[in-house]
Amino acid sequence: MLELAISAGVLVTCLAGTFQFGYTFYVYNQLVSAVGNGARYAAQRTYRAATPDDIDRGNAAIRNMVVYGDARPLPDAAPAVAGLKPEQVEVQWIASKGGAPEAVDVSIRDYTVDAIFRAYTFDGKPFVEFPFIGRYAPAEREP
Amino acid sequence: MKRQRGFVLIVMSACMFLLLAVIGLAFDLGRVYITRNEAQVFVDAASLAAAQQMDGTSAGLDRARGAVRRLPDRWNLGTEAFSGVQVEFSPDNEHWDSQPEGDSQPKDAAALHFVRVTAPDNHLAIVFLRAVGGPESFTVPARAVAATNPVRLAE
Repeated sequence: MLELAISAGVLVTCLAGTFQFGYTFYVYNQLVSAVGNGARYAAQRTYRAATPDDIDRGNAAIRNMVVYGDARPLPDAAPAVAGLKPEQVEVQWIASKGGAPEAVDVSIRDYTVDAIFRAYTFDGKPFVEFPFIGRYAPAEREP
Repeated sequence: MKRQRGFVLIVMSACMFLLLAVIGLAFDLGRVYITRNEAQVFVDAASLAAAQQMDGTSAGLDRARGAVRRLPDRWNLGTEAFSGVQVEFSPDNEHWDSQPEGDSQPKDAAALHFVRVTAPDNHLAIVFLRAVGGPESFTVPARAVAATNPVRLAE
């Protein structure tokens, strides 16, 4: 009976660890896909920069693409990754001296995966950089 | 009456073997899927970055290779830079030429309209599956093709 108790402790610990890492990797993989899709969208969309508000609205659309897979999601849209919010997506533009965007960096900030036995926080990961291949429209407004 | 001591030890040994396989599937295959995903995102970005630099000149081809090298995307949970990345060019998306860097006499740089980026060298170390007969490492290659005029992903 004692052997069984000791063995069961080892087995349960191993299974808990397996679940913990397996679930965390699963969520991280979803984050990589979401960030990659969002960055690709950002790289191809028109960069409208008539006012700082237009840039912010464009960035909001990119964050929505990362989180919901849709730049203009419905109010009840579910995130592609459980618990991910648009404000946890960081969008940074790398611009030339003239102000035209050359590349876009998209990453996840302060996202915690709750794997029951332990929580992991991703800050700055996953990170993706895409070259900007869209149209630069410095005088246009976001629709 | 026969003694039955040691039965739990035998059962545990069998269970641990199976458990290692299950842990391996969750841990190692999980990392393999992440690596594959990271590599695909990288080659997508790299091929677009390269295609953007291609302007029909040999200098453009060198800039394309440089753009791929400078891309900061990483793999293995965002910790390692990609190495051994191949950049090849093609006029028709069928015949590929991985012309050595710095070659000042390209065959016909103006005719090249496609770039293919392959990230082959991500030897992911296998931790648990190795204990039950799995490989020591696993390579998850990824490849993307981008076209010029307009710059877009072709594959």
